[in-house]
Amino acid sequence: MRELARNPRAALRLTGGNIELWANLLVISWAVAFMLWQGVGFAITLGTVFAIWAILSVSLNLVVGFSGLLSIGHIGFFGIGAYAMAILTSDASYEQLRTEAIPTLGWPFFAALPVSVALAGLVAILVGIVFNRFRDDIYVLVSFGFAIISFNVFLNWRALTRGAFGIHEISRPEIGGWAFDGDLAFLALVVVFLAAVMLVSWFIVTSSFGRVLTAIREDEQAASVFGYRVTHYKLAIWVISAMMAGLAGGLFASWTSFIDPNSFILLESILLVSIVILGGLATIWGSLLGAMTFVLLEEGMRFLPFLPNEYVGQARQVVLGILLVLLMLFRPQGLVGRFKL
Amino acid sequence: MTAAPANSGDYYILETEEISKHFGAVAAVDGLSIAIPRQGMTSIVGPNGSGKSTLVNLLSGTLPLDGGMVIIDGVGLKLVKAYETPAHGITRTFQEVRLFNQITVWDNIMVVLTNRSLFPAMLERAKPRYREQAQRILENVGMWEKRDSLAMDLSYGQRKLLEIGRALAVDVNIYLFDEPFAGLFPQMLERVKDIMKAMRDDGRTVIFISHNMDIVREMSDHLIVLDSGKLLTAGEVEDALNQEEVIAAYLGA
Amino acid sequence: MDRLLANPGRLLAIVLTTAVVAYIGWKVILSPEQALQFTFNGLSVGAVYALLAMGFTIVYSTVWFFDLYYGAAAALGAYGVFYLRSQEALGGQYQVNTPFVNVVFAAVVAGVVAWALHTAFYNRLRSRFSPTVLRVGGGLLSAGAGAYTGIILTYPKELHVILSPAVGLAVALAALWGLSLIYRRIIGNRGLRPFLWVAALGAVILGAYCGLLIAQAPGAKLYLSWAVSCLLAGAVGLALYRGLYMYMRQRARSPLVMLVASLGILLAITAFTTIVFQSAPRPLPEPFGSRPWSIGGATIKGFNVFTVGMALAGFFGLLLLLKRTSFGRAVRAIGDDEEVSKVVGINTTVIIAVVFFIGAVFAAMAGVLSGHDTAIQPRMGLLLLLKGWIASVVGGIGNLYGAIIGGFILGVVEQFGIWDLAGEWKDVISFVVLILFLSFWPLGLLPRK
Repeated sequence: MRELARNPRAALRLTGGNIELWANLLVISWAVAFMLWQGVGFAITLGTVFAIWAILSVSLNLVVGFSGLLSIGHIGFFGIGAYAMAILTSDASYEQLRTEAIPTLGWPFFAALPVSVALAGLVAILVGIVFNRFRDDIYVLVSFGFAIISFNVFLNWRALTRGAFGIHEISRPEIGGWAFDGDLAFLALVVVFLAAVMLVSWFIVTSSFGRVLTAIREDEQAASVFGYRVTHYKLAIWVISAMMAGLAGGLFASWTSFIDPNSFILLESILLVSIVILGGLATIWGSLLGAMTFVLLEEGMRFLPFLPNEYVGQARQVVLGILLVLLMLFRPQGLVGRFKL
Repeated sequence: MTAAPANSGDYYILETEEISKHFGAVAAVDGLSIAIPRQGMTSIVGPNGSGKSTLVNLLSGTLPLDGGMVIIDGVGLKLVKAYETPAHGITRTFQEVRLFNQITVWDNIMVVLTNRSLFPAMLERAKPRYREQAQRILENVGMWEKRDSLAMDLSYGQRKLLEIGRALAVDVNIYLFDEPFAGLFPQMLERVKDIMKAMRDDGRTVIFISHNMDIVREMSDHLIVLDSGKLLTAGEVEDALNQEEVIAAYLGA
Repeated sequence: MDRLLANPGRLLAIVLTTAVVAYIGWKVILSPEQALQFTFNGLSVGAVYALLAMGFTIVYSTVWFFDLYYGAAAALGAYGVFYLRSQEALGGQYQVNTPFVNVVFAAVVAGVVAWALHTAFYNRLRSRFSPTVLRVGGGLLSAGAGAYTGIILTYPKELHVILSPAVGLAVALAALWGLSLIYRRIIGNRGLRPFLWVAALGAVILGAYCGLLIAQAPGAKLYLSWAVSCLLAGAVGLALYRGLYMYMRQRARSPLVMLVASLGILLAITAFTTIVFQSAPRPLPEPFGSRPWSIGGATIKGFNVFTVGMALAGFFGLLLLLKRTSFGRAVRAIGDDEEVSKVVGINTTVIIAVVFFIGAVFAAMAGVLSGHDTAIQPRMGLLLLLKGWIASVVGGIGNLYGAIIGGFILGVVEQFGIWDLAGEWKDVISFVVLILFLSFWPLGLLPRK
């Protein structure tokens, strides 16, 4: 330590090649600086967006990073969760648009959330049984297909989802008379769920089950020779991951209180995969890092003087695309990843 | 053929009845019936393309059978499912070393020790029993110092040893080794030989494929010679190796 | 029968196929005219899918990964035409002309030309000229090509005038090459040189005539813009391979690395297109043949017939290229075993780069043709890409015959599928077709040997 103090260059030499450390430092200091600059209100919004994306990317990392299934259809489960929440809790008192009325059920948030999760899980079982036989690039193609099919269902099954009109007045969570209607309260709730998702994910990936998943990712056939029913393992992690995405969807719908199919387009799904790969494959922390980078990218770009505000989302997409290419070229495991694609 | 005891079901642990496997028009294994004794070490030899590896793949369920039946310890199977083979008492290594590349050496061993059923596995952490077993096996194959490196970073010989160790970690009766001696340095070769002998002395059935006739003579008690997917001869090593057909098949005379 | 019962998947496949065929047959009997209409629609949509699928196939059968850039190439092709024609054909309503875009494409073209000159001539001329001369000459030529591209993109109003020298040159070179080929085939190498001088004179006159013809014909601008945007998209595809995938292929452990990288490229280009052109749909100028013809009670536009013709022409051209030329033999050799082809002296880098170029041109052509049929949108590339991908999987991955058959089948099935359902479900139908095919015929209709 004293030697480091005497010779600061040694510190640089020690940490210079350590991309993980630098990535962590950069993103965290960026986030902190941003919040100090923009104030608390902004930080709360940012935090909520971050937490929802983080739940999604942690859940997708279970599939992509730990099980090696490059799924680009994950947004479908997010959408299923969100629509389940929206349809169940959308307020009956809301004056409906004449064109496409759907029945309003007016459930409370905490009754609808388990349904969101369970519905995503149920769909995932069906989808997973079909998808289990595919691998590599064909898997990517059919997972694209799932995203497209689910988007089309959201858009075109108007009797259920009101199509492009979207669903308004989705209720905020309420428990025993105390409502999470403040933004801070909602943030706290989302963070609690994020922590729970991380805990469950951590528990899974450090268990024997998680170890078998990584083995399946490396060599499916060898894993099956040692007595593991590979299809069951893949299906199990797929369903768990989809349920987490459904949870994120439920939270998202409640937070924005309005959803339409445009939140669940294929492009969002591609962005989600890029977040996971950017943060790092097969690490839970990496997914948080990726989600944070993603959120900060957009918010950071808002303050670029030469960039008109309506192009921020597109500019972020350009940056993310280029980052993805660079990562594949130089660091196929992502910033802090443990698995090289 | 040596005279089998009256109760042949006990003498033989692994039998096949007319099994076959076709790749397109090529019959890799063609109506093959063999029997492998419970005691001692059996080696499978034959020229390149004679169906040795295919036979091992069929026995371990890595490839599906086109026809015939495999009898493992008295249980007849028309469909060998890979994930059921440890329950039937079979495990194997692969000709082209197939480790779980991007996980550590330690995890490569641990993964075959843990609970096979889905939900208990989710709740299970690494038990002390597994740790001890993994340590014992890693020390046995001399990889204990390397336990934290990724399997993909090992040298070829180390990978081969680790794969043998991984098979060793599965507690079964029948071990199929697909070319365990190929490409090893003498020092490692001796180590593998010692490990396999110890397994035989422990009462396990060890079956291996090899091209090296000296090793086959030294190690094995029984011999199965294949040619073009058919059984050429089988029996005690010296008897079998001295038969004319075998010499012809090997020397191409 | 016993074998069928033993394999329920196969039985289900046969039942499903029979059901689909019966459904289509029933529909045909029910109202033949409408069925003909849907077939026409299906064929014209299918032609676009087939073009994309062929682009995919030639690349996939060479390097074994799906280049998702081709989605972006389709969008680039369509938007290239829009960019070049936005001043007049649409009343200048959505006129776009961004210097940044012009510079980027100029740079890409300069880079590609520099690479092409280097690989084609450097070694051949090294004995006669000093390396400095060659480098400076090559640099100047490629800078000239880049500047030319920049001028084309900056002044699209005068497209026909600006391009007329290039067209003239191309015609002259092609004529010269063709004449020398014929002479060699008939007479042999004897007296080739004097003949070439005469032929060159004729070719120059022909080229000049063609150039003048083009310069006098403002109506040719649309078709020139097709060529320009397809070639540009192709150049980008080539540049991506040479500048990116080539290095990835040397290090990567799995084709997924390239797939993800090309996903990133798709993402970036799509977003960039949106920034330049906005996300709202835009129309392309009307091409020829927009008046529907009536055949047997159904109608089809002349342009759609042209689209189908383009797909067939592309197919036969590609077939000829792959089966008859030494280039095609090299492509097939690389597809079989890249290492061995390298050892036997095939310049794999060049061959694969050209393959990427051809694939991207096909994709861009698909984008242009579908853009003329419907409106264009920056996101159109992704969906077209997926349809082309599905078509190539349905037909049999890596099989050229499969690509064109798969494209047409997908188009027709999609159209018949929305007969009873609403039109907005057609993407769902495609993916259901895909999943059924993958489940029951994982190798496609015509598996590659």
